[in-house]
Order: sequence, then C-alpha cells, then structure tokens
Amino acid sequence: MKVIELKKLSKIYNPNTIPVRAINDVNLSVEEGEFTAIVGPSGCGKTTLLNMIGGLDASSKGSVEVGNISIHDMSESELTAFRLKHIGFVFQAYNLIPVLTAKENIEFIMVLQNIDAKTIQERSEDLLNRMGIKDQKNRRPSELSGGQQQRVAVARALASRPKFVLADEPTANLDSGSTEALLDIMAKLNKEEKVTFIFSTHDQRVIDRAKRIIKLVDGEIVSDEYI
Amino acid sequence: MILTLAWKNIWRSKRRSFVVMSAVAIGVWSIIFMVSFYNSIIVAISRNSLRYDYSHIQIHHKNYLSDPGLNFQVKNPSMLMEFPSQMADIESISGRLIVNGMVASPKTNLGVQVYAIDPADEAAVTDLSGFLVKGNYFKNIKRNPILLSQKLADKLKVKVRSKVVITVQDMEANIRAGAFRVAGIFHSKSPRINKDVIYVRHTDLSDLLNATDSSFNEFAYLLKDNKSLVKTKQMMQAKTDNLVRTYREIAPEFDLIEEASSVSKQVITVIVMLALLFGIINTMLMAVLERTKEIGMLRAIGMFKRKICFMIVLETFMISMVSAPVGLIGGFLTNLYFKKTGGMDLSRYAGALEQYGSDFIFYPEIDRSTYLLLMLVVIMTAFIGAIYPAIKAINLKPLEAIKKL
Repeated sequence: MKVIELKKLSKIYNPNTIPVRAINDVNLSVEEGEFTAIVGPSGCGKTTLLNMIGGLDASSKGSVEVGNISIHDMSESELTAFRLKHIGFVFQAYNLIPVLTAKENIEFIMVLQNIDAKTIQERSEDLLNRMGIKDQKNRRPSELSGGQQQRVAVARALASRPKFVLADEPTANLDSGSTEALLDIMAKLNKEEKVTFIFSTHDQRVIDRAKRIIKLVDGEIVSDEYI
Repeated sequence: MILTLAWKNIWRSKRRSFVVMSAVAIGVWSIIFMVSFYNSIIVAISRNSLRYDYSHIQIHHKNYLSDPGLNFQVKNPSMLMEFPSQMADIESISGRLIVNGMVASPKTNLGVQVYAIDPADEAAVTDLSGFLVKGNYFKNIKRNPILLSQKLADKLKVKVRSKVVITVQDMEANIRAGAFRVAGIFHSKSPRINKDVIYVRHTDLSDLLNATDSSFNEFAYLLKDNKSLVKTKQMMQAKTDNLVRTYREIAPEFDLIEEASSVSKQVITVIVMLALLFGIINTMLMAVLERTKEIGMLRAIGMFKRKICFMIVLETFMISMVSAPVGLIGGFLTNLYFKKTGGMDLSRYAGALEQYGSDFIFYPEIDRSTYLLLMLVVIMTAFIGAIYPAIKAINLKPLEAIKKL
C-alpha cells in the first residue's frame, strides 16, 4: 500500500529573481513498511524533499499525496491537523521541549490529539519500554544523553501512530554507540510493526541499515535501489 | 498538559519572571497604597467639614442667601427645633444667629462672623467644646463670654480673659458695640471657622441687637447616619417653606473633591498599568523569541495556532495571577499596619494639610470591591500584554522557526 506518492515535484527558490532549483521533477512512491534512506551530498535537496513530504514546505510544482490525499491545496490549519494525525517527525537536533520530562514529551503530542488520559499513559509507558529509556522517564532532556534524547524524539514521533516517520539526519549528533542503538530500535519497529521510516542522511551507518536507498544529486533522483 | 507546560515555561528564566512578577506586585501594591491614601485624605477633609463645620443639613430663610444677615431670619423656628423629636435620624441641632461685625482688641480690629449660639447645642453639633486649646467653654466669665480661634487670638494679640469689643448692626441698622471677654481659645478642624468666626452666647448677642430669643437665621442639623441625608431633607422640606439644604448643596466642593480624587485615582491606575503592560509585553516577547525554534517544532508536529496562542496567554495570565495577589495582600497588610499603629503621621505637613481642613494622621482605607476590581484590571492588562507576543508566536513559520539557532 502506497503511503507517499510524489509526482513531478519541484521546488524553486527565488523564482522571480535568481531561481534556484532545489528539487527538480521528482517522482517517487513509498510503500508502507519501507525503511528508506534519502542520501546525497550536502545541498542536494534531501531536507527540502523531506520538508515538502511533511507539509512543512510548499512545492513550486507537482504534487504530494499521502495515503491518496493530496496535501498541495491544504490550508495552513489543515496541514497542521494533517501533520498531527499522519506524520511523525524526528529532527537532527532532537527538538524536545526542555521543561518537560521524557515521558511528558512523549505524551504531549497525544494530548494535542485529544487522546484519553488512560491511553496516553499506557502508550507512553509502552514506548518508553520499547525505546529502553523507562528509567529516564522523569528526567528532563538536559539530563539525558544525545542518544537518549533522540530515542525520546522517536518515541514522540511514534506516539501519534503516524502513517510514516520523517527523520532528518537523525544520527548526525550521535556517537557510534548511540547511533547503533537508535538504528536497532528503528529497525525493530520497522520489522515488527511495519512502521515506515524515511531518513535523510549521509551517515554511512544509516545507509548500511536501510532497505531502500534513494540517491539525490542537485535536486534530482539519480538512483533508487532496494537492498 | 498545556497548563503544565505554560507553568513550567514561566520558570525557564527565573530571574526574568521574578522581575516582571515583582513589577506587577509592586505596581498593584502602589495602586492600593495610593488609592487608600487618597481615600483617607478625602475622607478626612469631608468628615471634618461635615462634622465640624457644615453639619448634614442647614435651614435658612429662602432669601437669606441673597441677603445674609438679620433681615431674613428663619420662619417658625420653634417648629424647626422640634424636628429632632419628630425625625429619628437627627442626632442634634444648633440654632444660630449669624451677623457680620468687627472685633476690636487694644492692638487691632478685624472683620469677623459672629455666631450667636446655645453653647450646649453647638457642642453637640460641631464638637466646638472639644477644640478648646486654652480657657473654658463659656465658663468662668459671667458676662458676655466669647470663644475665638487661636488664629484670631494671635492676630488680635489677645489671650483668655482679655477684653474685646464687638461691633455689629442691629435690627434697625444701628451700630451697636458690646464689650466681651475671651473665655476660651479653640483650634477647629475647619479652616473656615478658624479664619473669621467668633462664638458668643445667643442671649448675649440678642440683647446687643435688640433681637428676641427666637431670632435665628441658621439651623444646623447633625444626622446619625449619612445614608438618611436625602430622605431627612425631603421630610424637612415638606414641613417648612424655609430653604433646606444638604451639606453637598451648601458646599459643592465636596463633589468636586471627590470627582478630582476619583480622576486622580484612575490616572494613577492607568499609568501604573501602562508601565506594567509594557513590562509584560517586553517579557513575553523575549520569552517567545527565545523559544522560536521550539514553537516552530510545536507547529511542525501539529500544535494548532490557537493552542500556541492559548499557551502564551496562559503564561501571561499565570504571571499576573501569581504576582497580583502578592501586591493586593501587601497593600492590605500596609493598610492594616497603619490602622494598628495609629495611622500614617504626616504632622510634618500639618500646616499645609490644615489649609484644606484635613487631619495630619491618616488611616489608609479602601473598599473591598477595589481589590477585586484591581485584580480584574491586572488580568485584563495581562491579556492585553499577551496579545502582541501571541501574535508573534502564531505567525512564526514552522520551517523557518526550526532553522533558527
């Protein structure tokens, strides 16, 4: 089942002055349960592509369909609701809320979804268990290591039961041990629960674990291979 | 959870929050203190003028105001003297015969208003006997005793038992002079009375003027309670065709003072609230700008603009809800302190304050409703202060905000 379909997707910055073509006529579809890495050199358009898939950036041309729903013509409010319901985000810099504990960070997105308190409690405990950070649940982000913070971020992304998770350079700030541990968890989630992950990365350790590698150069897909 | 987040956000920068909370608390305290202080001055001036000068109600002949003197004496004085027995709200009454005249001492002479009174009645209405600073209240001088103020005594260079001559016009416009002796010197809380009023016994002046014991041109009534003022006036007016006036009609400056005080209090409140408003805006704006990236992330993961806005408003509301009660309690305790410790002593400014008929010991007081009103004003100010930072927050583009360092 297709989760994402991009059709002739383009992104041009400064169209009226000095146009910069960040993404150029990209066609791409991602099936449910894929573990996909979008790779390429810096400035090739990986993050721009992810942002457009996530509805954070508008395309100049073409369309983005998520689960057969086009997000192209959605209003800002509709896009917010769409992201909340269907997309999980993992950022390079973790971007956790510093004043909330690990558990509260995970629960926060479920509160935004108006999920009942009992379910929130059960699901956050379950995610903390699966991420191996149950002992750190009452700690604030500043009291956690980078790897632990990113695990909280993954748990937060999964808490809303999204159709897929977009992870922009998720291991860029992590050491080898933390990277391996994080990738183990995500690979397990992908294998056992069919969670769809799409990474943008140039970290070889991530690329080595990906099941599909899409190579982007100058905003165009130059290779797309399943491992 | 948003409530928790808002609360925790306040304490991110403890020093900044403490500063703005202190500003709100001090602002609220200063309003309470200033308003209470204003109130105490107004109350002192009004109470002194009412209690020691005008009384609640005065009755004159209808034409007395156009020709004050002996020509227009009150009609049917015996009936007016019966009012206290007919109207339960009246506490005391004093009938007066007031004439303009001259008082001469061996050193100088002055123009004065001569109040011919019944000493016991006048003491019950204006507490005149309580203001004696020297001598006795019409005692120890058998013939023609007078009371005059310290101010007049100083000008005339007289003391107790000194002889003065009072010159007045009698009923037939003849000039009459009589020798009087100073029985007592007083210092009233009414600047007007201190300035040019002397008191003699009604019988003594009647003899001098060839008037009768029932010659009066003013009746002053002290009521038990200000609440019955209008009702009592109406009852009196229904029974007599003399001119019946309340102290507010006699001295319109009462309304003016209260009006001016009310405006002053509002101006002070607005100034303090404006200062707080800019403080709150500044603080919340800094808080939003510091959290640009985080707000961008919240928008990215699906937090609606309205919830971001709610969070910012909630933070501002919490700041005011924590600090305003501190200011209110501080104001209350300050007032309580002055009440328990004998008032705020401004005797250093007694001279200036006396010019306005005010005491120099103040007991700051404020209506309970003012506390509630002030709390509402602070909350309203906080909401207004939250608007601009909240607009800033919701207008952040998630993608651009996330990229901020």
